Amino acid sequence: MKRRTLLATGIGTAAAMTWSRRGWSQSKPFDGMTLRLACVNDQYSPGIKTLAERFKQESGVTILVDILGYGELQTKITTDYVGHTKGYDLATTDNVWAPQLAEAGYTVTLNDWMKHDAEEMKLDDIYPVLFPALGNYDGKQVAFPLAGYANVLAYRKDLYKAANLQPPATMQALVSAAYKLTDKSRNQYGWVANGQKGAACAQDWMQYLAEVGGVLVQDGKPTLDAAPNVKSLTTYRDLFQKAAPPGAVNWDWDGREASFRNGLAANMQTWSVGALGYFDPTQSKVTETAALMVTPTATGMKPRYGIGGWGIAINADIEDRRKEAAWAYIKWITSPEIHKALNLLNAGSFLRKSEIHDPQLNQKYPFLPVIDESFTHGDPDFRPRVPQYPQIQDILGTAVNSALVGASSPQDALSAAQTQALRYF
Amino acid sequence: MSFRLTPLQRRSIFLCLMAAPAAIHVAVFALYPILRGMGFSLFQMNLMQPWIHHFVGLRNYTDALTDPTVRRSLVVTIIFTVGCVAAELVCGLCLALLLWRDSAFNRFATTLMLVPITVTPIVVGLIFRALLDPSFGLIGYWLLQAGLAPPQGLLGDTHTALATMMGIDVWEWTPLVALILLAALKALPADILDAAEIDGAGGTRRLTRIILPMLLPSLFLVLALRFTDVFRTYDIVFAATAGGPGDSTNLLMLLAAKEGLTFFDIGYGSAISILMTLCIVLMVALLIVTLRSLDRRMNQA
Amino acid sequence: MSRRLSRPTLVAQRSAVIIALVVFLAPVLWLALTAYEPSRAIQSTPPLPWFVPGLANFVIIAQQFDLAKLTLGSAVISAGSTLLSLLLGIPCGYALARARHRGAIILAYVFLAIRGVPTVVTLIPFYLFMRQIHLLGTWWAVILMNATLSTAFVAWMMYTAFRTVPTEIEDAAIVDGCGGFGAFWRVALPLVRTSVVASALLCMMFAWNDYLNPAFLTRAETRPLSVALLTAFGGPTTSSWGTLGAMAHISTIPIILVALVLNRFLVAGLIRGVH
Repeated sequence: MKRRTLLATGIGTAAAMTWSRRGWSQSKPFDGMTLRLACVNDQYSPGIKTLAERFKQESGVTILVDILGYGELQTKITTDYVGHTKGYDLATTDNVWAPQLAEAGYTVTLNDWMKHDAEEMKLDDIYPVLFPALGNYDGKQVAFPLAGYANVLAYRKDLYKAANLQPPATMQALVSAAYKLTDKSRNQYGWVANGQKGAACAQDWMQYLAEVGGVLVQDGKPTLDAAPNVKSLTTYRDLFQKAAPPGAVNWDWDGREASFRNGLAANMQTWSVGALGYFDPTQSKVTETAALMVTPTATGMKPRYGIGGWGIAINADIEDRRKEAAWAYIKWITSPEIHKALNLLNAGSFLRKSEIHDPQLNQKYPFLPVIDESFTHGDPDFRPRVPQYPQIQDILGTAVNSALVGASSPQDALSAAQTQALRYF
Repeated sequence: MSFRLTPLQRRSIFLCLMAAPAAIHVAVFALYPILRGMGFSLFQMNLMQPWIHHFVGLRNYTDALTDPTVRRSLVVTIIFTVGCVAAELVCGLCLALLLWRDSAFNRFATTLMLVPITVTPIVVGLIFRALLDPSFGLIGYWLLQAGLAPPQGLLGDTHTALATMMGIDVWEWTPLVALILLAALKALPADILDAAEIDGAGGTRRLTRIILPMLLPSLFLVLALRFTDVFRTYDIVFAATAGGPGDSTNLLMLLAAKEGLTFFDIGYGSAISILMTLCIVLMVALLIVTLRSLDRRMNQA
Repeated sequence: MSRRLSRPTLVAQRSAVIIALVVFLAPVLWLALTAYEPSRAIQSTPPLPWFVPGLANFVIIAQQFDLAKLTLGSAVISAGSTLLSLLLGIPCGYALARARHRGAIILAYVFLAIRGVPTVVTLIPFYLFMRQIHLLGTWWAVILMNATLSTAFVAWMMYTAFRTVPTEIEDAAIVDGCGGFGAFWRVALPLVRTSVVASALLCMMFAWNDYLNPAFLTRAETRPLSVALLTAFGGPTTSSWGTLGAMAHISTIPIILVALVLNRFLVAGLIRGVH
C-alpha cells in the first residue's frame, strides 16, 4: 500500500458518498450474501478492499477480500479449483493463466453474459485489446479485464538533455543511449531490467524480444533458439554487463523500480502500474525529472506495445446464484464510475477510454496519453499465449539468467532451453 | 478364569499407552496425507490438465533420476546441507558453551539470541537480499566499494552465491542448535563435572573426553533435525536468489515446489519430493551408524 | 556450571557473546529501522544509515490490517500447536526412552522420517483431508498440521532427555507405591524441565513464524501475523520495506517477551539440577 493512502482514502470516501445515491441501490437481489475474493497483492488491492464496503452498502453483498502474494494466490486458487472446495467465489487472474484455465474449465466462461450485458456495461468503452490480453484463450473469455497495464519506457529527461540526446524512438536508439548515459564514476547507469532467475528475468526479456521482432512459439512449436533470439539475448546480456547497475542480475521488480526511483538508472521498461510512484516525493528522487513514453521498437517494425495485467474470474464450482452475484460484482467494479474511484485510490490500473480521458485522473496520473497510445496499438501476445506458457517462462527464466551472469553463452543457454521446451509440445 | 498381568507386562502396556496418542496423531494427520501423496507420484497427473490421469508406475522416478537439472540440484543440495549443518553445529556448540554458566547476562543473551528464529524464513531471505545488494545494501555496497565482493554482488555471482546462502542459513539456525545444546548442557549431572574438575582435567580434555560424549544423544538429535530441515530448505533461497544465478543455488526443494505447486505437475513433483525423503533417510541412517561407532570408541577409551 | 570465572576469562566470554549478539540482531534491527524511514531512504545509493524518522508506516499497517485479530491468530496457533505437541510428545518421548522393545526405536525413526517429507507431497492431500472433516480455514487445521511436525520434534527432544535420567530413581519411586505414571510425572518429568522448556520455546517459534501451512489452511479471518508480514511487503510492483519493517515489530516483540518469561524457567530447572 502506498503512502498516500490516508489522503486517497479520504478522497475515496468522499467520492463514495456522492455516488452511492445513484443506480444500483434500489434493488438488492443478493442481499445478505457473502462472496470471497482471492485478490493478488498489487497496486489495486487496497482499493478493492476499500471499495468492498461501498459494494456492501449498495448491494447488501459482503465481499471478503483475501489479499495474497502471487505464488500463494496461484497455488491457493488452483488447489481450490482442483479439489472443488469452493473456497473462493472470485479470483484475480494473471493474464498468462488464461489458456490453462480455459482448457481445464475451472472458471466460468463469460462470453454469453458479456453479450447480454454489453450495453449496460459499456463494453465499447473498454480498450478492445484488453479482452484478449487479460483472460481470453481460443475465444473463451475466462476472466474479465480488471486491471490493464501498459509496458512503457520510463526515462530521465534531465540526463537525456544533458547528453544532448533525444528520447529514443527505436530500440537501436535506446540501446545506444543506454551506453552513452552510463557513467560508473558518477554512479549513473543507462539501463536496468529484471535479472533475477525465474519469472522476473524471463518476462522482461520476452518484452524486449518482442520489441525487436523475436518469436518464441510459431505454429504451435517452440522456437526459443532461433538466430534473432540468440542475437537479441547477446545484446541484452551486454547491456546488463556494461550499462546496468551492480546487482541487477539478482533484481526482480522491486530492485528494478527502486533503481529508477532513486536516480540510479536512466532508462527502464516497466509496467505503467508502478509509474505513480516516480512522482511521489516520499518514494522517489526523480519526481521532477522522470518521464514516460511508449516503448520503442526496432527500426522499421510496427510498434508492439506489451499489454499485461489482471482479469477477474468466477469459480465454476459455485452455485448459480453465487455466480450471478459474482457477475454483478464484476459489472460493478469495472463500471466507469467505480473503476475511476478505484484509480483515485492509487490503483494505476486502467480499462476504459473514459478513464484515460478523465480530467481528474489525468491530473493524478500525468502520463495517461502514453497509456492510451499503448492500449490502442497494444499487443496481447508478446508473451506466447499457450497452455505451456508457465513451463516456457520457467525454462527461459533459467536460460536468460545463465546468459546474463555469464554461466553459459546466449547460444548454449537458448539451445538447452529449446531442448527442454520441446518436451512440453 | 482369573488373569493377572506380570509387572513387566503392566509396564509395557503403560508405555504403549503413553506413546499411543502421538503415534495415532502422526498416523492420521501425517502418514495418511503422505501415503496419498505417494500415490500421486505413481500417476502422470497435472492438476491444470485434469483430463490427464494415468498410472505410470515408477516413470516419474526414472524421469527425475535421469533429468540433468535434478542431478545438478542434488549436488548443490548436498553441498548446501553438509556445509550448513557442519557450520551450525560448530557455531551452535561454541555459543552453548559460552552461555553455559548461569548469570543474568547469559540469560538475557540467550533470549536475544533467539531473535533470528522468530523471523519468518521468507523475510530472512528478503532481509539479506536487501543488505547484500551491491547498489542499495548497507553491507553489499561497502563490500563492493572495498573490492571484497564480485561486481554483481555476493548473491549475483555463480561462485559466491551458494556460500552466501549457506551463511544466511547458518545465521538463521545456529541459535536453534545452541539452544538445544544449551538445554542439554544444563541437564548434565553436576557431580560428574565436579569430579572431572577435581581430577584436574584441562579445559579441552574435559570437553572432548567428558562433555561431548555425554552430549552425544543431543548432538545426534541436532544433527538429525538439521539434516532433515536443511535438505528441504526453500524459503530463504526462494526469496534471496530464486535459485540463481544460473543454477548455482537451485536446491531440490525449489525444483519440487516448482513442479508441484507452480506447474501443478503433482505426480512429478511428488516423485522428486519422495526421492528427497529417501535421501534424508539415507543421510540420517549414515549419521546413526557413524555416531554409534563413535560412541563405542569413546566408551572404550 | 557454578564455578567462578577469572576476570579475563569473563571479559573474553562476554565480548564473544556480545559479538555473536550483534551478528544475530543487526539484520533484524535493520528491518525494524526501515519502519521509521520513508521508502526513498531505504533503497538509496550509497546506502546511508541516517534519515528523518517518521511513523507513517505504522499508521498504514494499523489501517490496512486488523492487527489485534492477526496477533490473536498467531497466539492461538502457536499456543495450540505447542500445547498439543507437548501433550502428545512428552509421554511419547518418555515411553521411547524407557521401552526396551525394538519397535520403540523404529517408531522414533519413523517420526524423524516424517519430518523429512517435503510439504509438496503433503500439502494438497492434507488440504483435501481438512476439507473432508470440515476444518479447512480454521485454526485447528494449522494446529493439527504443525503438531504432526512438532510432536516428532518434542518426542525426540524428550527421548534424548529422559535417557539421561537414571532409571534407578524411578524404580525406587515405583517400589514406594508411586505407580508408573507417578514415577513419570513426579520423578522423571521435573528432572528434565529444561528440555521441556526448550522444546516448548522452539515449538512455539516454529508455529509462530511458519508461513506456508497457515497461508494455505487459514482464511482471511483466521490468518496469523506471519502471513500478513508478506502481505505488508506487497506485490511485485509495489514492494514496501517500511510496512514490512513496521509489521515485523508486531510479529517479533510478543514472541521475544514470551521467550524472556520462559527463559526464567530454563534457569529454574538448572538450579534444581544442582541441588
